[in-house]
Amino acid sequence: MDNALVQPDPGLFFWTIAVFLVLLFLLKRFAWGPLLAALDERQAGIRKSLDDADQARKELEQVREEAEAIIGKARAEADGIISDARADGGQLRDDLRQQAQQQAQAIVENAERQIQQERDRALQQIRQEAVDMSLMIASKLIRRNLTAEDNG
Amino acid sequence: MLQPDHAEPGAHGADHAEGGFDAGQVIIDHVTNSSPDHPILHLPAIFGIDFSISKHVFMLLFVATVVFLLITTTVRRYLRQDRLVPGGFMNALEFVVEFIRDSIVLPNVGAKYVRSWAPLVLTFFCFILAANVVGLIPIFEVLGLIDHYVLHTGEHSLVKNVIHGGTTATANFNVTAALATITFFAIIIAGSLAHGFIQHWINLVPHGLAWPVYILLIPIEVMGMFVKPFALTMRLAANMTGGHIAILAILSFVFLFAREFGSALAGIGVGLFVSIPLAVGINGLEIIVVLVQAYVFTLLSAVFIGMAINVHH
Repeated sequence: MDNALVQPDPGLFFWTIAVFLVLLFLLKRFAWGPLLAALDERQAGIRKSLDDADQARKELEQVREEAEAIIGKARAEADGIISDARADGGQLRDDLRQQAQQQAQAIVENAERQIQQERDRALQQIRQEAVDMSLMIASKLIRRNLTAEDNG
Repeated sequence: MLQPDHAEPGAHGADHAEGGFDAGQVIIDHVTNSSPDHPILHLPAIFGIDFSISKHVFMLLFVATVVFLLITTTVRRYLRQDRLVPGGFMNALEFVVEFIRDSIVLPNVGAKYVRSWAPLVLTFFCFILAANVVGLIPIFEVLGLIDHYVLHTGEHSLVKNVIHGGTTATANFNVTAALATITFFAIIIAGSLAHGFIQHWINLVPHGLAWPVYILLIPIEVMGMFVKPFALTMRLAANMTGGHIAILAILSFVFLFAREFGSALAGIGVGLFVSIPLAVGINGLEIIVVLVQAYVFTLLSAVFIGMAINVHH
């Protein structure tokens, strides 16, 4: 072929293959190999740090949930304690009131009984005294009668 | 007043000043290899093959050296750091490397073979791109201008030999054929590594078909084996040649008009208002073509290698 555009040139052909293969070997040895290894390493590093961050975030979430659970439980317990205390207080108040009422009643009853007893005793004393007095009067009367007859 | 033939740095004024301007000859001179009779460095033939350093061999060596030094020093400097923070040119290089690895090699050859084939595909891209780009820079045309006006070297001096011939090695189909041959063997090696040497050839055709189909299919697949690298060869060479021819043809208007109208003014007018704007436009287009063709050659090589590894019909 005499067209210069499509002139076969085996020398150039082999030169190209030789130059390219040498370039490929050198670049692979000195540039692509180390670079690709470094890129892979960096990629692995980034993936690891992202995984670590995810892990940390998950752990944080878990801890927060746990904390919230603990706070919730504490709150419930406090509520329980307060309501228990309130119930206990009410119970105690009722008990005390009842006790006080009972005591008051007992005191009143006691007082009434004492009053009754005192009255009974007083009445009895009065009665006794009345008996004594009438006896005394009677005996006085009898004694006078006896003396008058003697001297008469 | 400038002589029309001297106004354009590319035109070898001295050669054509007497015999008039032959646009076709100038264009061919600028896109083809230097003349086999006047290589830059004459070497003895081995087995009847002329291994002399022609213009395109020189360009190959030049581009390979530049690519090797640029990439290796950049990568070495990057890897020497304690913390791997890319900066400057390394940013661009890393983008290219990651793009080729993750968008070209990985989807085609699969995760298992990325590390085996990424270096080849990366070297294809960088080498072809660099060769294409160097072809766009008119270094030797400027050297020719300096020679013509300042140095005045002899007819077959080293400078003259360097000036003659096209700058774009990838516009020569011998170069692209050699690159495609590497793809051709890479396909066979990839298939053999993945499936064994015998199985690779069996994989060429789908199995489990009726035997008459194979009579048709085997020749087609064997032909396909050679058509793939042939298409790679022609696509790259033709694309790299085409843009240069267009630019040179448009710049030739300057001299054709000057001759037809017998006045340098006509040539300069056409040059200022037609040739230079058009040539600049095509040069801009060429920047895209240069990238796209390097990408296409790289991508198709990866696709073909991947087809040998992940066989599905």
